Amino acid sequence: MNCIEFEARLHPYVDGELEMTDMAAADAHLAQCAECQGRMEQERQFRQLLRRQPRESAPPEFRALIRARVRRSARVAAIRPWLLGTAAAAAVLLVMSLLPGLRPGQALITDLVSKHITYTQIEQPAEFASQDARAVEAWFRQRAGLRVTVSDYSPSGIRLVGGRLAEADDHKAAYVLYEKGHTLMSVFLVPASAPAAALKGTRVSYRGHDYLTLERKGYNTVAWTDGKAVFGLVSMLGYDALLECADKLRLDRAQRFGA
Amino acid sequence: MLEWARPGDRSREFEDTALVHLDILYRSALRLTHNRAEAEDLVQEACLRAFRGFHRFNPGTNCRAWLLTILRNEFLKRLKKGGHEVLDSDPGDRQRGATSATDAGRPRGHPEEEFLQTVLHGDVDRALKALPLAHREVVILADLEGLSYKEIAQVVDCPIGTVMSRLSRGRAHLRDLLGRLAREHGYVKEPG
Repeated sequence: MNCIEFEARLHPYVDGELEMTDMAAADAHLAQCAECQGRMEQERQFRQLLRRQPRESAPPEFRALIRARVRRSARVAAIRPWLLGTAAAAAVLLVMSLLPGLRPGQALITDLVSKHITYTQIEQPAEFASQDARAVEAWFRQRAGLRVTVSDYSPSGIRLVGGRLAEADDHKAAYVLYEKGHTLMSVFLVPASAPAAALKGTRVSYRGHDYLTLERKGYNTVAWTDGKAVFGLVSMLGYDALLECADKLRLDRAQRFGA
Repeated sequence: MLEWARPGDRSREFEDTALVHLDILYRSALRLTHNRAEAEDLVQEACLRAFRGFHRFNPGTNCRAWLLTILRNEFLKRLKKGGHEVLDSDPGDRQRGATSATDAGRPRGHPEEEFLQTVLHGDVDRALKALPLAHREVVILADLEGLSYKEIAQVVDCPIGTVMSRLSRGRAHLRDLLGRLAREHGYVKEPG
Protein backbone atom coordinates (compact mmCIF):
# COMPACT_ATOMS: atom_id res chain seq x y z
CA MET A 1 0.00 0.00 0.00
CA ASN A 2 1.36 3.44 -0.90
CA CYS A 3 0.47 6.85 0.57
CA ILE A 4 -2.30 7.55 -1.94
CA GLU A 5 -3.92 4.18 -1.28
CA PHE A 6 -3.65 4.70 2.46
CA GLU A 7 -5.12 8.19 2.21
CA ALA A 8 -8.18 6.70 0.52
CA ARG A 9 -8.59 4.28 3.41
CA LEU A 10 -7.73 6.64 6.25
CA HIS A 11 -11.27 7.09 7.59
CA PRO A 12 -12.34 3.45 7.54
CA TYR A 13 -8.96 2.57 9.04
CA VAL A 14 -9.46 4.88 12.00
CA ASP A 15 -13.10 3.81 12.27
CA GLY A 16 -12.06 0.14 12.39
CA GLU A 17 -14.12 -0.56 9.30
CA LEU A 18 -11.41 -1.92 6.99
CA GLU A 19 -11.36 -5.52 5.85
CA MET A 20 -8.75 -7.67 7.57
CA THR A 21 -6.43 -7.79 4.53
CA ASP A 22 -6.66 -4.01 3.97
CA MET A 23 -6.08 -3.44 7.66
CA ALA A 24 -2.90 -5.50 7.58
CA ALA A 25 -1.67 -3.69 4.48
CA ALA A 26 -2.43 -0.31 6.08
CA ASP A 27 -0.60 -1.28 9.26
CA ALA A 28 2.39 -2.33 7.19
CA HIS A 29 2.36 1.02 5.37
CA LEU A 30 2.04 3.00 8.61
CA ALA A 31 5.00 1.16 10.09
CA GLN A 32 7.22 2.62 7.42
CA CYS A 33 5.59 6.01 6.67
CA ALA A 34 5.85 8.65 9.38
CA GLU A 35 3.77 11.16 7.43
CA CYS A 36 0.76 8.82 7.10
CA GLN A 37 1.26 7.75 10.71
CA GLY A 38 1.01 11.41 11.70
CA ARG A 39 -2.15 11.95 9.67
CA MET A 40 -3.70 8.85 11.16
CA GLU A 41 -2.90 10.08 14.68
CA GLN A 42 -4.48 13.45 13.96
CA GLU A 43 -7.59 11.79 12.63
CA ARG A 44 -7.74 9.56 15.69
CA GLN A 45 -7.43 12.52 18.02
CA PHE A 46 -10.18 14.32 16.18
CA ARG A 47 -12.44 11.27 16.67
CA GLN A 48 -11.58 11.19 20.36
CA LEU A 49 -12.51 14.84 20.68
CA LEU A 50 -15.92 14.12 19.16
CA ARG A 51 -16.43 11.05 21.32
CA ARG A 52 -15.66 13.09 24.42
CA GLN A 53 -18.65 15.37 23.79
CA PRO A 54 -21.18 15.30 26.63
CA ARG A 55 -23.72 12.54 26.15
CA GLU A 56 -26.98 13.84 27.49
CA SER A 57 -29.57 11.34 28.69
CA ALA A 58 -33.32 11.69 28.33
CA PRO A 59 -34.66 13.33 31.54
CA PRO A 60 -36.43 10.85 33.87
CA GLU A 61 -39.74 12.70 33.58
CA PHE A 62 -39.55 12.53 29.78
CA ARG A 63 -38.77 8.81 29.97
CA ALA A 64 -41.79 8.34 32.22
CA LEU A 65 -43.97 10.30 29.79
CA ILE A 66 -42.91 8.12 26.86
CA ARG A 67 -43.60 4.96 28.88
CA ALA A 68 -47.04 6.24 29.84
CA ARG A 69 -47.87 7.15 26.24
CA VAL A 70 -46.79 3.76 24.95
CA ARG A 71 -48.87 2.01 27.61
CA ARG A 72 -51.84 4.17 26.78
CA SER A 73 -51.37 3.45 23.10
CA ALA A 74 -51.35 -0.27 23.93
CA ARG A 75 -54.66 0.08 25.76
CA VAL A 76 -56.26 2.02 22.90
CA ALA A 77 -55.01 -0.61 20.45
CA ALA A 78 -56.60 -3.28 22.62
CA ILE A 79 -59.94 -1.50 22.66
CA ARG A 80 -60.00 -0.92 18.91
CA PRO A 81 -60.75 -4.46 17.67
CA TRP A 82 -63.35 -4.82 20.36
CA LEU A 83 -64.87 -1.53 19.29
CA LEU A 84 -64.97 -2.58 15.66
CA GLY A 85 -66.05 -6.13 16.25
CA THR A 86 -68.69 -5.96 18.98
CA ALA A 87 -72.24 -5.09 18.17
CA ALA A 88 -72.75 -3.78 21.70
CA ALA A 89 -70.04 -1.15 21.31
CA ALA A 90 -71.50 2.23 22.14
CA ALA A 91 -69.73 4.49 19.70
CA VAL A 92 -71.85 7.45 18.78
CA LEU A 93 -71.01 10.10 16.26
CA LEU A 94 -73.20 13.16 16.02
CA VAL A 95 -72.91 15.62 13.18
CA MET A 96 -74.47 19.04 13.15
CA SER A 97 -73.99 21.15 10.07
CA LEU A 98 -74.54 24.88 9.89
CA LEU A 99 -72.40 26.40 7.12
CA PRO A 100 -73.70 26.87 3.58
CA GLY A 101 -72.27 24.79 0.82
CA LEU A 102 -72.02 21.45 2.52
CA ARG A 103 -73.64 18.49 0.82
CA PRO A 104 -74.06 15.92 3.54
CA GLY A 105 -74.61 12.86 1.45
CA GLN A 106 -73.13 9.42 1.84
CA ALA A 107 -69.61 10.81 1.40
CA LEU A 108 -69.94 13.04 4.45
CA ILE A 109 -71.26 10.25 6.64
CA THR A 110 -68.46 7.94 5.42
CA ASP A 111 -65.93 10.69 6.12
CA LEU A 112 -67.24 11.20 9.64
CA VAL A 113 -67.25 7.50 10.37
CA SER A 114 -63.60 7.40 9.24
CA LYS A 115 -62.82 10.40 11.44
CA HIS A 116 -64.52 8.78 14.38
CA ILE A 117 -62.39 5.66 13.88
CA THR A 118 -59.25 7.80 13.57
CA TYR A 119 -59.98 9.86 16.67
CA THR A 120 -60.67 6.83 18.79
CA GLN A 121 -57.19 5.59 17.85
CA ILE A 122 -55.15 8.67 18.69
CA GLU A 123 -53.63 9.36 22.06
CA GLN A 124 -55.73 12.33 23.10
CA PRO A 125 -58.91 12.50 21.07
CA ALA A 126 -60.17 15.47 23.13
CA GLU A 127 -58.27 18.74 22.76
CA PHE A 128 -60.31 20.15 25.62
CA ALA A 129 -61.07 17.55 28.27
CA SER A 130 -64.04 18.12 30.55
CA GLN A 131 -67.04 16.21 31.87
CA ASP A 132 -68.99 19.44 32.05
CA ALA A 133 -71.24 19.89 29.00
CA ARG A 134 -71.48 23.68 29.52
CA ALA A 135 -67.70 23.99 29.76
CA VAL A 136 -67.27 22.11 26.46
CA GLU A 137 -69.90 24.33 24.82
CA ALA A 138 -68.07 27.42 26.12
CA TRP A 139 -64.78 26.10 24.77
CA PHE A 140 -66.22 25.73 21.24
CA ARG A 141 -67.72 29.21 21.48
CA GLN A 142 -64.45 30.81 22.55
CA ARG A 143 -62.17 28.74 20.39
CA ALA A 144 -64.05 28.84 17.08
CA GLY A 145 -67.22 30.83 17.59
CA LEU A 146 -69.31 27.67 17.23
CA ARG A 147 -72.63 27.37 19.02
CA VAL A 148 -72.50 23.69 19.81
CA THR A 149 -75.12 21.92 21.88
CA VAL A 150 -73.51 19.29 24.07
CA SER A 151 -76.09 16.88 25.44
CA ASP A 152 -75.74 15.18 28.78
CA TYR A 153 -76.12 11.45 28.28
CA SER A 154 -74.82 10.53 31.72
CA PRO A 155 -78.20 9.08 32.87
CA SER A 156 -77.68 6.48 30.08
CA GLY A 157 -74.17 5.78 31.36
CA ILE A 158 -72.51 7.75 28.55
CA ARG A 159 -69.88 10.04 30.06
CA LEU A 160 -68.67 13.24 28.37
CA VAL A 161 -64.91 13.24 27.70
CA GLY A 162 -64.35 16.55 25.90
CA GLY A 163 -64.22 18.30 22.55
CA ARG A 164 -61.92 19.04 19.65
CA LEU A 165 -62.00 20.99 16.40
CA ALA A 166 -62.06 18.77 13.36
CA GLU A 167 -62.58 19.06 9.64
CA ALA A 168 -65.22 17.39 7.54
CA ASP A 169 -65.89 17.91 3.86
CA ASP A 170 -63.34 20.78 3.94
CA HIS A 171 -65.29 22.56 6.64
CA LYS A 172 -64.40 23.27 10.20
CA ALA A 173 -66.27 20.84 12.42
CA ALA A 174 -66.78 20.45 16.13
CA TYR A 175 -66.20 17.05 17.64
CA VAL A 176 -67.50 16.01 21.03
CA LEU A 177 -66.28 12.84 22.60
CA TYR A 178 -68.16 10.60 25.01
CA GLU A 179 -67.28 7.35 26.63
CA LYS A 180 -69.40 4.41 27.67
CA GLY A 181 -67.32 1.98 29.68
CA HIS A 182 -64.24 1.31 27.57
CA THR A 183 -65.95 2.49 24.45
CA LEU A 184 -65.48 5.94 23.03
CA MET A 185 -68.40 7.86 21.65
CA SER A 186 -67.96 10.86 19.38
CA VAL A 187 -69.99 13.93 18.50
CA PHE A 188 -69.23 16.12 15.48
CA LEU A 189 -70.47 19.54 14.46
CA VAL A 190 -69.80 20.62 10.88
CA PRO A 191 -71.07 24.16 10.37
CA ALA A 192 -73.10 24.04 7.10
CA SER A 193 -76.63 24.22 5.74
CA ALA A 194 -78.15 21.60 3.52
CA PRO A 195 -81.54 20.67 2.22
CA ALA A 196 -83.10 17.54 3.66
CA ALA A 197 -83.12 16.05 0.17
CA ALA A 198 -79.31 15.98 0.18
CA LEU A 199 -79.29 13.43 2.97
CA LYS A 200 -79.13 9.83 1.92
CA GLY A 201 -80.41 6.78 3.74
CA THR A 202 -83.53 4.95 4.84
CA ARG A 203 -86.21 7.24 6.20
CA VAL A 204 -87.21 6.42 9.80
CA SER A 205 -89.72 8.22 12.03
CA TYR A 206 -89.05 8.46 15.78
CA ARG A 207 -91.18 10.44 18.30
CA GLY A 208 -92.69 12.51 15.56
CA HIS A 209 -89.42 13.39 13.76
CA ASP A 210 -87.86 12.03 10.60
CA TYR A 211 -84.30 10.64 10.53
CA LEU A 212 -82.20 8.99 7.85
CA THR A 213 -80.31 5.84 8.67
CA LEU A 214 -77.27 4.49 6.85
CA GLU A 215 -74.72 1.80 7.69
CA ARG A 216 -71.05 2.51 6.99
CA LYS A 217 -67.97 0.43 7.91
CA GLY A 218 -69.94 -1.51 10.47
CA TYR A 219 -71.36 1.60 12.14
CA ASN A 220 -75.00 2.57 12.21
CA THR A 221 -75.60 6.21 11.35
CA VAL A 222 -78.56 8.48 11.92
CA ALA A 223 -78.74 11.88 10.24
CA TRP A 224 -81.23 14.71 10.15
CA THR A 225 -81.50 18.39 9.38
CA ASP A 226 -83.48 21.28 10.81
CA GLY A 227 -82.89 23.48 7.76
CA LYS A 228 -80.09 25.47 9.40
CA ALA A 229 -78.13 22.47 10.53
CA VAL A 230 -77.54 18.89 9.57
CA PHE A 231 -77.13 16.35 12.34
CA GLY A 232 -75.67 12.93 11.99
CA LEU A 233 -75.15 10.18 14.47
CA VAL A 234 -72.97 7.12 13.94
CA SER A 235 -72.60 4.21 16.29
CA MET A 236 -72.22 0.50 16.72
CA LEU A 237 -75.23 0.65 18.99
CA GLY A 238 -78.58 -0.43 17.66
CA TYR A 239 -80.75 2.16 15.99
CA ASP A 240 -83.04 2.38 19.05
CA ALA A 241 -80.26 3.76 21.22
CA LEU A 242 -79.01 6.04 18.46
CA LEU A 243 -82.43 7.47 17.82
CA GLU A 244 -82.86 8.14 21.53
CA CYS A 245 -79.56 10.05 21.62
CA ALA A 246 -80.58 11.94 18.48
CA ASP A 247 -83.95 12.82 19.98
CA LYS A 248 -82.31 14.11 23.16
CA LEU A 249 -79.92 16.29 21.18
CA ARG A 250 -82.76 17.64 19.08
CA LEU A 251 -84.73 18.52 22.24
CA ASP A 252 -81.69 20.12 23.91
CA ARG A 253 -81.04 22.27 20.86
CA ALA A 254 -84.68 23.29 20.59
CA GLN A 255 -84.65 24.33 24.24
CA ARG A 256 -81.40 26.24 23.87
CA PHE A 257 -82.03 27.98 20.55
CA GLY A 258 -85.83 27.75 20.32
CA ALA A 259 -85.59 25.92 17.01
CA MET B 1 -58.52 -9.14 33.19
CA LEU B 2 -57.19 -11.51 30.61
CA GLU B 3 -57.76 -9.25 27.61
CA TRP B 4 -55.67 -6.51 29.23
CA ALA B 5 -52.71 -8.80 29.77
CA ARG B 6 -51.74 -8.84 26.10
CA PRO B 7 -51.42 -5.12 25.44
CA GLY B 8 -49.42 -4.87 28.67
CA ASP B 9 -47.06 -7.60 27.47
CA ARG B 10 -46.66 -5.82 24.17
CA SER B 11 -45.79 -2.48 25.75
CA ARG B 12 -43.41 -4.19 28.21
CA GLU B 13 -41.66 -5.94 25.35
CA PHE B 14 -41.39 -2.61 23.54
CA GLU B 15 -39.98 -0.96 26.65
CA ASP B 16 -37.39 -3.70 27.08
CA THR B 17 -36.36 -3.84 23.43
CA ALA B 18 -36.81 -0.32 22.14
CA LEU B 19 -37.04 2.18 24.98
CA VAL B 20 -33.59 1.14 26.20
CA HIS B 21 -32.42 3.24 23.23
CA LEU B 22 -34.32 6.33 24.34
CA ASP B 23 -31.12 8.23 25.21
CA ILE B 24 -29.63 7.99 21.73
CA LEU B 25 -32.98 8.99 20.21
CA TYR B 26 -33.14 11.95 22.57
CA ARG B 27 -29.59 13.13 21.87
CA SER B 28 -29.96 12.66 18.12
CA ALA B 29 -33.24 14.59 18.10
CA LEU B 30 -31.64 17.41 20.08
CA ARG B 31 -28.77 17.61 17.62
CA LEU B 32 -31.09 17.48 14.62
CA THR B 33 -33.57 20.08 15.83
CA HIS B 34 -31.46 22.26 18.19
CA ASN B 35 -34.63 22.80 20.16
CA ARG B 36 -35.56 20.84 23.26
CA ALA B 37 -39.34 21.08 22.94
CA GLU B 38 -39.17 20.15 19.28
CA ALA B 39 -36.78 17.29 20.02
CA GLU B 40 -39.04 15.88 22.73
CA ASP B 41 -42.04 16.10 20.47
CA LEU B 42 -40.09 14.37 17.71
CA VAL B 43 -38.92 11.56 19.99
CA GLN B 44 -42.41 11.10 21.34
CA GLU B 45 -43.89 10.78 17.87
CA ALA B 46 -41.10 8.45 16.75
CA CYS B 47 -41.61 6.21 19.79
CA LEU B 48 -45.35 5.97 19.25
CA ARG B 49 -44.84 5.25 15.57
CA ALA B 50 -42.31 2.60 16.44
CA PHE B 51 -44.69 1.07 18.96
CA ARG B 52 -47.54 0.98 16.46
CA GLY B 53 -45.22 -0.66 13.93
CA PHE B 54 -43.47 -2.88 16.47
CA HIS B 55 -45.02 -5.99 14.92
CA ARG B 56 -42.96 -5.20 11.80
CA PHE B 57 -39.71 -5.11 13.76
CA ASN B 58 -37.78 -8.31 13.27
CA PRO B 59 -36.45 -9.45 16.68
CA GLY B 60 -32.75 -10.09 16.56
CA THR B 61 -32.14 -7.31 14.03
CA ASN B 62 -30.77 -3.92 14.95
CA CYS B 63 -33.41 -2.15 17.01
CA ARG B 64 -31.29 0.98 17.54
CA ALA B 65 -30.91 1.53 13.79
CA TRP B 66 -34.59 0.75 13.24
CA LEU B 67 -35.63 3.39 15.79
CA LEU B 68 -33.21 5.98 14.45
CA THR B 69 -34.62 5.40 10.97
CA ILE B 70 -38.11 6.14 12.25
CA LEU B 71 -36.87 9.23 14.08
CA ARG B 72 -35.10 10.49 10.97
CA ASN B 73 -38.09 9.88 8.71
CA GLU B 74 -40.32 11.77 11.12
CA PHE B 75 -37.80 14.62 11.25
CA LEU B 76 -37.59 14.82 7.44
CA LYS B 77 -41.37 14.75 7.21
CA ARG B 78 -41.58 17.74 9.54
CA LEU B 79 -38.89 19.62 7.64
CA LYS B 80 -40.76 19.08 4.41
CA LYS B 81 -44.01 20.20 6.01
CA GLY B 82 -42.31 23.34 7.24
CA GLY B 83 -41.19 24.10 3.69
CA HIS B 84 -37.50 23.54 4.43
CA GLU B 85 -35.03 22.12 2.00
CA VAL B 86 -34.68 18.43 2.67
CA LEU B 87 -31.52 16.49 1.89
CA ASP B 88 -31.87 17.16 -1.83
CA SER B 89 -28.40 15.93 -2.51
CA ASP B 90 -25.11 15.50 -0.82
CA PRO B 91 -23.68 19.02 -0.76
CA GLY B 92 -20.25 17.51 -1.26
CA ASP B 93 -21.18 16.57 -4.80
CA ARG B 94 -21.02 20.21 -5.77
CA GLN B 95 -17.58 20.79 -4.32
CA ARG B 96 -16.04 17.44 -5.05
CA GLY B 97 -12.51 17.81 -6.22
CA ALA B 98 -12.15 21.28 -4.76
CA THR B 99 -10.32 20.12 -1.68
CA SER B 100 -9.12 16.81 -0.47
CA ALA B 101 -11.37 15.67 2.34
CA THR B 102 -8.62 15.12 4.83
CA ASP B 103 -6.87 18.40 4.10
CA ALA B 104 -9.89 20.63 4.15
CA GLY B 105 -10.18 22.85 7.14
CA ARG B 106 -7.04 21.82 8.89
CA PRO B 107 -5.53 24.94 10.39
CA ARG B 108 -2.27 24.75 8.58
CA GLY B 109 0.93 25.55 10.33
CA HIS B 110 -0.32 24.64 13.80
CA PRO B 111 0.17 21.39 15.59
CA GLU B 112 -3.01 19.32 15.67
CA GLU B 113 -2.80 19.07 19.45
CA GLU B 114 -2.95 22.84 19.79
CA PHE B 115 -5.99 23.04 17.55
CA LEU B 116 -7.83 20.27 19.35
CA GLN B 117 -7.11 21.71 22.76
CA THR B 118 -8.70 24.99 21.83
CA VAL B 119 -12.08 23.43 21.12
CA LEU B 120 -14.33 24.78 23.86
CA HIS B 121 -17.36 23.21 25.41
CA GLY B 122 -20.25 23.78 23.03
CA ASP B 123 -18.05 24.43 20.00
CA VAL B 124 -18.71 21.02 18.50
CA ASP B 125 -22.46 21.45 18.76
CA ARG B 126 -22.20 24.95 17.33
CA ALA B 127 -20.12 23.71 14.40
CA LEU B 128 -22.38 20.69 13.84
CA LYS B 129 -25.32 23.03 13.58
CA ALA B 130 -23.67 24.71 10.61
CA LEU B 131 -23.14 21.45 8.71
CA PRO B 132 -25.56 20.54 5.92
CA LEU B 133 -28.01 17.93 7.16
CA ALA B 134 -26.64 15.17 4.91
CA HIS B 135 -23.25 15.58 6.58
CA ARG B 136 -24.46 16.42 10.06
CA GLU B 137 -26.51 13.27 10.47
CA VAL B 138 -23.73 10.87 9.48
CA VAL B 139 -21.15 12.64 11.66
CA ILE B 140 -23.52 12.57 14.64
CA LEU B 141 -24.26 8.88 14.16
CA ALA B 142 -20.66 7.81 13.53
CA ASP B 143 -18.56 10.09 15.70
CA LEU B 144 -20.81 11.11 18.54
CA GLU B 145 -22.89 7.96 18.83
CA GLY B 146 -20.49 5.32 17.53
CA LEU B 147 -22.70 3.61 14.96
CA SER B 148 -21.06 1.38 12.37
CA TYR B 149 -21.11 2.27 8.65
CA LYS B 150 -23.63 -0.51 8.11
CA GLU B 151 -25.97 0.84 10.77
CA ILE B 152 -25.69 4.38 9.41
CA ALA B 153 -26.41 3.13 5.89
CA GLN B 154 -29.60 1.56 7.23
CA VAL B 155 -30.65 4.71 9.07
CA VAL B 156 -30.01 7.17 6.25
CA ASP B 157 -31.09 4.66 3.62
CA CYS B 158 -28.11 4.83 1.27
CA PRO B 159 -25.16 2.62 0.28
CA ILE B 160 -22.16 2.28 2.61
CA GLY B 161 -19.96 4.00 -0.01
CA THR B 162 -22.17 7.09 0.20
CA VAL B 163 -22.00 7.01 4.00
CA MET B 164 -18.21 6.93 3.77
CA SER B 165 -17.93 9.84 1.38
CA ARG B 166 -20.42 11.93 3.36
CA LEU B 167 -18.57 11.14 6.55
CA SER B 168 -15.27 12.11 5.03
CA ARG B 169 -16.57 15.44 3.78
CA GLY B 170 -18.66 16.05 6.88
CA ARG B 171 -15.64 15.58 9.13
CA ALA B 172 -13.49 17.81 6.97
CA HIS B 173 -16.16 20.50 7.06
CA LEU B 174 -16.58 20.13 10.81
CA ARG B 175 -12.85 20.43 11.30
CA ASP B 176 -12.82 23.54 9.20
CA LEU B 177 -15.61 25.09 11.27
CA LEU B 178 -13.92 24.15 14.54
CA GLY B 179 -10.72 25.70 13.25
CA ARG B 180 -12.58 28.92 12.55
CA LEU B 181 -14.11 28.92 16.02
CA ALA B 182 -10.65 28.37 17.50
CA ARG B 183 -9.38 31.38 15.58
CA GLU B 184 -12.36 33.41 16.78
CA HIS B 185 -11.48 32.51 20.35
CA GLY B 186 -8.01 33.77 19.58
CA TYR B 187 -6.33 30.55 20.65
CA VAL B 188 -5.06 29.80 17.19
CA LYS B 189 -3.57 32.45 14.97
CA GLU B 190 -4.77 32.99 11.44
CA PRO B 191 -2.79 30.78 9.12
CA GLY B 192 -0.20 32.97 7.47
